[in-house]
Amino acid sequence: MRERFAPNLRAVKGWWAIAALGAVMWIPTPASACGTCSVGDPTLTIVGFEQPKQNRIRTSATLRHRNDSIGDTQVDRLTLSEQRMELGGAYSPTDRVSLSLMMPVVHRLVTEVNLAEASIWAPGDLDLRVRGVVWRDRKFAPRHLVSLVGGLEFPTSSIEYDENGVPLPLEFQAGTSSWDPIAGASYTMFLDPWSMYVSSIAIFPTEGTAETRASTSFRQTLLAQFQPWSFLAFQVGAEFRFDGPGYIAGVRDPNTGGHITYGTLGIVGLPHDKIMIHATAALPLIQRLDGTHREGFAFTAGLVYEI
Amino acid sequence: MRSSLVLVTALLCAASLPQCMRVTDGIEVDVAYQPEATPAQIRTDLGYRVSLDRALIALGQVELIRCDNFVADLLGLFRAARARAHALDTPTSLGEPLVLDLMEGAGTPEYAGTMKPPPGRYCGVRIVGMPADSDAAGLNEKTQEMTEHTVLIEGLVRADGDEVGAPLLVPIGELFERDLRFERPLLFEGPVVQNISIQIDHTSWFDGIDFALLSANAVRQRITENVRSSLQVALPNAEDGF
Repeated sequence: MRERFAPNLRAVKGWWAIAALGAVMWIPTPASACGTCSVGDPTLTIVGFEQPKQNRIRTSATLRHRNDSIGDTQVDRLTLSEQRMELGGAYSPTDRVSLSLMMPVVHRLVTEVNLAEASIWAPGDLDLRVRGVVWRDRKFAPRHLVSLVGGLEFPTSSIEYDENGVPLPLEFQAGTSSWDPIAGASYTMFLDPWSMYVSSIAIFPTEGTAETRASTSFRQTLLAQFQPWSFLAFQVGAEFRFDGPGYIAGVRDPNTGGHITYGTLGIVGLPHDKIMIHATAALPLIQRLDGTHREGFAFTAGLVYEI
Repeated sequence: MRSSLVLVTALLCAASLPQCMRVTDGIEVDVAYQPEATPAQIRTDLGYRVSLDRALIALGQVELIRCDNFVADLLGLFRAARARAHALDTPTSLGEPLVLDLMEGAGTPEYAGTMKPPPGRYCGVRIVGMPADSDAAGLNEKTQEMTEHTVLIEGLVRADGDEVGAPLLVPIGELFERDLRFERPLLFEGPVVQNISIQIDHTSWFDGIDFALLSANAVRQRITENVRSSLQVALPNAEDGF
């Protein structure tokens, strides 16, 4: 029989400590800063970085907003406003392994320089990930965790074309429409009421339809959390992203590739022993993206429910 | 287990959602060339009569000009130049060359293309005449020479009272540029369709030329000037069409 949170008064303190650790690990990532694939680890909110609990099942719903632009103002600028709803589920078959499945539904509003607009609703790429704890300093309430992450993005999205049948730039696709392997690692440290985690994830897109290949992307997350109360935590962090070039019809898209650093501020609440809500704002601090690509403010909010 | 099934079903349903795309047009400027109908004989202001067998012109680019000050306009040109480096057309210019056979069509308009400029105030257009590319619109067996010429004229010119006349062959290979101001500035603040008609009055190409006195080279130079000045721009109402 699966354990419930706070089963009795004696256990309350201990469970809140575990919940606090769990909240640390349910850290929401900043919104996607890449048009073709989510930045950081979009499954972080549902899988978390805490030690998996055997037979635990979680579901989540996350809303992400972001915007960016490519091109020169007054010449050929395209701006993008994206809202993404991600539905996810996670299951831990053992206390070392977690599996997650996440499906985004994407809305994109693309505005051309002449104010023409394209409003696109489309499914994104289904994301499957596995996280395995490969080292921990102790089995119960570990203070240090090292995990490996592997995964695959499925080509469930579609490629959008312009009126001439030419694929739109990668920044304006709901997904890559390709099989994209994912690999990475993370480290988590707990020093109540503080905690910190570092993760590094790489995504290696393969060729999608119309000879489209999204950028190979390396994403690093550095995040600290302070939890003064058991039901509330504050986060501050940074997201680094390094992208390789992307290609459309075999030709390099000049507005892909480069580096961007986001600063993030977040808040996590635990209104119920089975529910966690979170919100994070991300602001680009350093942009060295290739071409005329600029990314803007991003926001993420969501809810996680443990079944 | 039941929860897991519900979850997986929800995810699969999300994955199978059809895509939906709605497109709203923005600011569009339709450009057309409007040549005059070619008469059997053109009477010049100096009394010569010109009968044309061929009259061809190749136009390479049309560009909207902003009503900005000089410095801003220069910056705009630099930006546009960068944009042209990787695209034939830009939001404020049409780059596809077009060959017009002025002996055909009887003055009917020839659609040149649609520009999609950003909001702003535009005061005119810049037209560039240049030899056509090998894949230019309007290029065919009869007009193949226009890959080497900007303007090509063939015909017969007669002085007043001269019934025999002299053959006229004027191939012009030089590029030319002509800035034309609108009768009123175009202010684009939101999505709209605007028509621009570039009128070509080739009946004025031979004005001011004394064929009896001028050398062939001087005639060609004068016709080149007349071709430039024969281009005018008009802003017909949308319902007028072209």
